[in-house]
Amino acid sequence: MIYQQLINGLMLGASYSLIAIGYTLIFGVLNLLYFAHGEVFMVGAFVGLYLVVYGGANIYVALAGAAIACAALGIVAFYVSVRPVPKDRPLAPLISTIGLTIVLQNLAVYIFGGQQVAFPETIRQELYHVGPVTISSVQIFILVVAVAAMGGLWLFIERTKLGRAIRATAENHETAALLGVDVNRVVLVTFVIGSGIAGIAGVLDGVKNSGISPFMGLGAAVKGLVVMLLGGLGNVVGAMVGGLMLGLIEILSAAYIGTTERDLFSFLILILILLYRPTGLFGTRTAE
Amino acid sequence: MAVCLDIKGLTKRFGGFFALNELDMEVTTGNIHALIGPNGAGKTTFFNLLTGLLAADEGAIMFEGRPLGEARPSRRTARGIARTFQNIRLFPHLTALETVMIGEHCRAYASTWHALGSAVLRRPFGEGGVERRMRKNAMELLSLLGLAAHANERASNLSYGDQRKLEIARALATQPRLLLLDEPGAGLNPNETAALDETITRIRDRGITVVLIEHDMNLVMGISDRVTVLNFGTKIAEGTPGEVQAHPAVLEAYLGEDVKP
Amino acid sequence: MLHDLFDGYTRSILVFTGVNVLAAYSFYLPFKTGQVSLGQAGFMAIGAYASAVLTQKFGVPFAAALPVAAVVAGMMGVLVGFPALRIKGIYLLLLTLGFAEIVQVITLSWDFVGGAQGFRQIPFIPSILEYVVALIIVLVLFFARLERSSLGRAMDAVHQDETAAEVMGLDVVRIKLLAFGLGAAIAGLAGALYAHHATYIDSNSFNIMVGVEILMFVIIGGSSTYWGPLLGAGFLTLLPEFLRTLRDWLELVPVAWTDFFPMNRVYDFLHDALDFENAKRLIVYGIIIMVMMILRPDGLLTRDSLRRLTMPRGA
Repeated sequence: MIYQQLINGLMLGASYSLIAIGYTLIFGVLNLLYFAHGEVFMVGAFVGLYLVVYGGANIYVALAGAAIACAALGIVAFYVSVRPVPKDRPLAPLISTIGLTIVLQNLAVYIFGGQQVAFPETIRQELYHVGPVTISSVQIFILVVAVAAMGGLWLFIERTKLGRAIRATAENHETAALLGVDVNRVVLVTFVIGSGIAGIAGVLDGVKNSGISPFMGLGAAVKGLVVMLLGGLGNVVGAMVGGLMLGLIEILSAAYIGTTERDLFSFLILILILLYRPTGLFGTRTAE
Repeated sequence: MAVCLDIKGLTKRFGGFFALNELDMEVTTGNIHALIGPNGAGKTTFFNLLTGLLAADEGAIMFEGRPLGEARPSRRTARGIARTFQNIRLFPHLTALETVMIGEHCRAYASTWHALGSAVLRRPFGEGGVERRMRKNAMELLSLLGLAAHANERASNLSYGDQRKLEIARALATQPRLLLLDEPGAGLNPNETAALDETITRIRDRGITVVLIEHDMNLVMGISDRVTVLNFGTKIAEGTPGEVQAHPAVLEAYLGEDVKP
Repeated sequence: MLHDLFDGYTRSILVFTGVNVLAAYSFYLPFKTGQVSLGQAGFMAIGAYASAVLTQKFGVPFAAALPVAAVVAGMMGVLVGFPALRIKGIYLLLLTLGFAEIVQVITLSWDFVGGAQGFRQIPFIPSILEYVVALIIVLVLFFARLERSSLGRAMDAVHQDETAAEVMGLDVVRIKLLAFGLGAAIAGLAGALYAHHATYIDSNSFNIMVGVEILMFVIIGGSSTYWGPLLGAGFLTLLPEFLRTLRDWLELVPVAWTDFFPMNRVYDFLHDALDFENAKRLIVYGIIIMVMMILRPDGLLTRDSLRRLTMPRGA
């Protein structure tokens, strides 16, 4: 039973991680609470759905398509809601990305309708028994894709010049500038990568829950924020680990304490971290 | 003579680094007492400990015979200690007049509740007696520092020298008995420095004890009654300006380059 | 009085607009001291549920329940205000957001207040519009006085440089707690008024988006003057209504004016474009918000623009 819950927790946590990665990257390089990120995740899910249902694509094409579409959306979002807004007003960029959130959400309602839409079965459901654990093919697929996405990102950030520039900027602007990093390019790449990964997370969410709706973004956004804080603002690896942790905590508290207390727990954790470890569990830096 | 500040064994560490080490110091009431020393000697740390922005690791500060303890900065201001900041910290969107009136707030209103009550229960139009008195006092202070013409300008629009003066006016508005000036002469031209000299003397003549951190040795030696020299958080000399200038440790550690014959 | 002046629909719109104005002021007061709260919806919920419980379960008259709701929300505000003293910026945003979420989870799971079914049959108060209008007038007067008082100035100083303010003798802790607590109390009033007009509330009535919108009202209206929240909340609440009526206005255009090329095409295009259903209207609403932040990042009204309006030329 406990193993089963652990797997469920990891599944949930993996999607939190994928969303939080974008948040923490964007927060890191821009010092901006980018509110529309949850909606990018939602758009990813719908792009995946359309590719499968109307394009007849298989799930891999759907994942790639969602990632590309969301990366493009990330660029658009940057140019319409972040770039033109003066940065010396701390709240103005937040408000404009809230505006974008409202636009994207209602665009989705307008196009897809306000109801939950069924996500088609793209992976044949098979159950494998490994010792005491039963794991389905869908679960394996989700975990593998999430781990691959995170691993790829990790390699990119650790091993490539551009990736290191992003991390340097996310962790400390001054150092990055000293190292001669082209901050504008880094910001744009950050939006592309964060949004692309959110798109993948959206499709995985559809596969997992077999239903998506235009309103799925907000809840995901809030959980993504909690994870970002858990991992430390700007810390990509922290976001990955933090997501898995929150997923485990939620599933275990739901299983052994109660489902309504589950959300209570994640927000109590949020508040405790804010008060006692504002740099996150794997802390990097604090923002003013 | 009465003792304004009596400091015993004051110590502040940042990590393993001693910003202040076992400092003993006495400031006599009514004096201008200068605190000099190279950068990083612990002068501003000393002010931060006095005003409660930092907590001391060891030692005690007696102000007018009573310990300051762990009182918050605003309580210390209420007890009569005011300061200026080396890196100017004005309220950028307030006018010069409003800035000085901020300093008066803690004298005009005994508590936040009192201030709230006065805000709510004022006559519907015009200002109450307290507010009018505050405005009048503030204008006087601005005149004292030669800022009366800029009363309605935003603090951030003032020239650098005027911002330094406004800092002093704001500190004086809290009606201190001890005024801590952190490099009031930094960045001033010779004319402004001469005026500052006079201003500080005039403040002392009002019966306010002044502790002065300053790099301009002409200013320091000209107006100070007593000088304390710090180096690496430790007191290396103390005395009248004449005594300090002749002190071998001072010549070696700090004045060496400046006062070569 | 006011009740009979308007039909039911208009009255509802006005009450909701007024509730939003009050909520905007509840954000504005702590913001005056530099505290940004995304959690005002949580305090609204506390006020709403407190008043609903008192009136419906204990038969307390609304006029007595309303101040109690404000006090309960205000006390909660002081409680949240203490940890809020220690943190700033995005951390405070997230703390208050977490608080609002916790309130939402509790109202969702607590059966005494209806749990997931929501709180039903809250007594409807016909004179709610009078309450709303009276409270807004009181608040505007309050802020007008605060702005010209020493305390108001002290709050501005705390907002601009907390450390300098404390060193100049301002009791920053009390000032911030007072602002946060009073702000929460105002939110409690707004929530209670909402509850007794809607007569039904559930945990979703005060979700995160409500808190986000409140923040938006103030920033868009202009956060440097007390007219900003009034304008912002009024403007943004009535905007969708305004967009709704645009098409009705278009239809008032005489047929003779649009009967020929190219006006007929223009007319048809506009007529189609203004065929607003909810989602379309909200898309326009979102776009307007984005454009506003690009064109007027300090909000519609600023202290400087107000000064220019009220002072004669050249003054």
